[in-house]
Amino acid sequence: MSIEAKEHNGAHFLEINDELTIYTAAMMKQELQDVLSKQDELEISLECVSDIDSAGIQILILLHQQAKKKGKTLRFIKHNRQVIDVLETLNLEALFGDPIVLPAKEF
Amino acid sequence: MAELITGYGIEHEEFHQQYIETVTQYLTFSVANETLAVNILAVNEIIEVSEITFIPRMPEFIRGVINLRGAAVPVVDLSLKTAKGVMSKLSDKSCIVLVDVNPPSGGNQAIGLLVDAVKEIVEFDHKSIQPAPQVGDSNNADYIQAMGKLNEVFVIILEVDNILSSGQIKSLMEIN
Amino acid sequence: MLDDTKKIFIQESEELLEQMENALLEMEQVPNDAEHLNSVFRAIHTIKGAAGIFGFDAIVAFTHPVESVMDNVRNGLRSVDPDLIALLLKCKDHTANLVEFISGEQEDISETLQEAGKKLLNELTPEQPSELTVTNTNEKIEVSDKRSPSEDHWVISLDFKPDALRNGLDPLSFINYLKRMGEIIEIITFTHDFPCWEDMDPESCYLSFRIALSSSANKEEIKSVFEFALDDCELRIVPPHSELEKYLALLEELTGEELNKLGELLIQVGALTEQELNSALQLQNGVLNDGTTKEIKPLGEILVEQHVVSKDVVEKAVAKQEIIREKIAQETQYIRVDANRLGQLINLVGELVISNAAVKLLVEKHDLADVQEVVSGVEGLVENIRDHALQLRMVQIGETFSRFRRVVRDVSKDLNKDVELVITGGEAELDKTVVEKINDPLTHLVRNSLDHGFETPDERVAQGKPRKGVLRLNALHDSGHIVIQIADDGAGLDTDKIRKKAEEKGLINVGQELSQREILRLIFEPGLTTKDTASNISGRGVGMDVVKRNIDALRGTIEVDSERGKGTLVTIHLPLTLAIIEGFMVGVEQERFVIPLSMVEECVEMNTDEWHLDKNSHYVNLRGQVMPYIKLSEFFGVNYQQSHRGRESLVIVKAGRAKAGIVVDRLFGELQTVIKPLGKVFQGLKGVSGATVLGSGEIALILDVQGLIGLASAKTTDVKTLESV
Repeated sequence: MSIEAKEHNGAHFLEINDELTIYTAAMMKQELQDVLSKQDELEISLECVSDIDSAGIQILILLHQQAKKKGKTLRFIKHNRQVIDVLETLNLEALFGDPIVLPAKEF
Repeated sequence: MAELITGYGIEHEEFHQQYIETVTQYLTFSVANETLAVNILAVNEIIEVSEITFIPRMPEFIRGVINLRGAAVPVVDLSLKTAKGVMSKLSDKSCIVLVDVNPPSGGNQAIGLLVDAVKEIVEFDHKSIQPAPQVGDSNNADYIQAMGKLNEVFVIILEVDNILSSGQIKSLMEIN
Repeated sequence: MLDDTKKIFIQESEELLEQMENALLEMEQVPNDAEHLNSVFRAIHTIKGAAGIFGFDAIVAFTHPVESVMDNVRNGLRSVDPDLIALLLKCKDHTANLVEFISGEQEDISETLQEAGKKLLNELTPEQPSELTVTNTNEKIEVSDKRSPSEDHWVISLDFKPDALRNGLDPLSFINYLKRMGEIIEIITFTHDFPCWEDMDPESCYLSFRIALSSSANKEEIKSVFEFALDDCELRIVPPHSELEKYLALLEELTGEELNKLGELLIQVGALTEQELNSALQLQNGVLNDGTTKEIKPLGEILVEQHVVSKDVVEKAVAKQEIIREKIAQETQYIRVDANRLGQLINLVGELVISNAAVKLLVEKHDLADVQEVVSGVEGLVENIRDHALQLRMVQIGETFSRFRRVVRDVSKDLNKDVELVITGGEAELDKTVVEKINDPLTHLVRNSLDHGFETPDERVAQGKPRKGVLRLNALHDSGHIVIQIADDGAGLDTDKIRKKAEEKGLINVGQELSQREILRLIFEPGLTTKDTASNISGRGVGMDVVKRNIDALRGTIEVDSERGKGTLVTIHLPLTLAIIEGFMVGVEQERFVIPLSMVEECVEMNTDEWHLDKNSHYVNLRGQVMPYIKLSEFFGVNYQQSHRGRESLVIVKAGRAKAGIVVDRLFGELQTVIKPLGKVFQGLKGVSGATVLGSGEIALILDVQGLIGLASAKTTDVKTLESV
């Protein structure tokens, strides 16, 4: 399973544990759709995304739009460096509106 | 000369032919105590000896070039070419006789003949002209057109066209 | 600004503004809903970004404070109340007005609109001193009037087609690569065109970007970034204003001699890429083939419609075309002058130069100080007249070059080869008499190159070369000479074959040690002429000796460089004129000789002791350089007495690449040299190329530098090394 439900300090969240690329896009879409249909509020950790490309970004954007459309709350958390780079490159940080916290080890 | 024959209109050519056949004027000059002559029709002008610029790697009889109103004209030392094979000593009387040549190889070229002194204009009728003697190396003597008898003395009439045949020059240069 | 960028911006802004309005209306019900706040923020943020990219500074100026306010609201720094929502709705309306405004033709924002904007911003940020806000806004608007730096970006719109991802492209990597071209000032990723989640194919690409790039690269270079993506995306590159200005300036500067097509002009200044031209031309033809419409649209119109080139640039190019056309028409009004008359004029000028020298000499001789001034004045005038007179006979070599277009086309067609002729330096001028004489050798060289130099297209492809060969004709001026280069990217010369042939013909000894260049030089040997052109390449020697002889007759030099498989370069050096040159006079014994000044490299004192002069081999070691030399007195000297006891000088002369020293007794210095032919009698004379008349009336000989170097080198050949340079 490339998406794991986790619990940390009492908070529930999903963790993407695989690459988020064209190779995994179809599978990711299916898995995320399943999760989203069941939950009204969701946090997804991007900490363990091993690789991300344009196809992956599309998934995130669409997931975000879908949640909004359905009136659900979706937040991406724990962006790792690679994800941040891509979001910055495409100027998408504001689109998601999620606070981005740089991992401590970056400093 | 020219004045003589102009004005005769249509008969001009004919007259000219006749005239030349009967009497021809020649310019005589002395070169190393010999008297030489050229057909006066070939002579353009006679000038004083000016500075002659040496041309390297040329047969000796070419003394060099002079500046004739801006053109470089080669000068032949007739003494070296025809007479004794000694270079002419320049004196007050030395002159350059400028002639137009039409060498067999084609083209028209002015050349200067360096002579010790210009003598006079003479007339030879065809009775007093004899063909050049066929002795020795005719190739080297092809500049002799004929021999003219003047006061019982023979003078060399020069064939100016052959004085500077480029073939001759070439062969001379190659020998050098 | 281009219409299409406007359209894109307007359409997108309208959608965003609608979203904003909806969100604001929702907020009236649920004031602190984060999603709606975000939605409003995103809308205004995206509009601001897009406005920045497209250079609509008035909109940036207005939306920026609004965005700041929304950011504060989002971060809980400012609370939402009905007043704020009302105000934000007004801001939204104002933004819509601004957007609507830019769709019009007017350049400047109207007063009322400006005032309304200021008022709204004042209300929006009351805590700021109102004055400050006003000046702030004013500044920004002013900037926009002056064309702000934000307009100075390349605007790239990049819309990927659905199959892009499946075709192995990652749009992200192109954007990362684009960063190498310059700084990405702003990038907008369009997301509102995304399908709904259910319809989304995760392997299809829905991404579109608008990018503002600050870069010094040109259009072609930027385009090259997306080279591999061109089939899978719609790419539009809109140049920044500065670039537009550059195009306009370049168009202004163009001094076209021939009437170029519009497309060619635009490519020349970089406003259009070749590919863009081709697709526009296809479109033009496509309309024609349809039969639906008979009217063929002018290319310029198509280009503007397709938003490839801005209207300003097209108009300018069309205007330029007109100017060139007029110029060509004017040229036909030139007075045709009999070449002989020009020749006479130049001869007379030559005489004038000589007479002037004579006058100068006399003035110096008699020490006439008061006349001297006048004479030097006259001298200046004479030099001017000389230059102008020579200029009359100067023609550009471009015309001669252009004739080869046809030759290249026809010959390469006959040979089934694909060769493109590239001409450069066509504006270089030289004497008409030289041009006339250079035509034959050039034709020979070009034909040779086409015949033996270039491979067939298939062979080229097999060798990894482009199918199409390139033949270059280039001309440039170099210290009193014109240099003509004929370069091909063909097979190059086979030195082994040349060597073999030369050995067969007995031109060189079997196994003789020769440098690459010496071997190449053998192709100019008469003996190497071969008729077996059937054998692939070596037959190139056909008539090269004739070419060399022609060039020699013009007192020029010819050299050949070649690399196997890479191509061949033939370089010809020619004097600019055959009439009057700058000369350098030297003396040997009583005689004077003139060396063309352009061929004199330097003069040094002959230092026989220190140079370890090798009298037999005739070369000196000049600062570590092996320099063959020729002693003029020995070479020319028939009966010179060894009277001259002074120091001798070594004049280093060069012809093309070859150099040699000429040993002379005296150096006299520079002088105007009117070249006089020496006449047929002296045709075979070696070491002398002509004569000139000095001020004194004497004649001085002009040395044949090329010939002398050859002779000097030949003497040294025994010692093996003669390679100069």
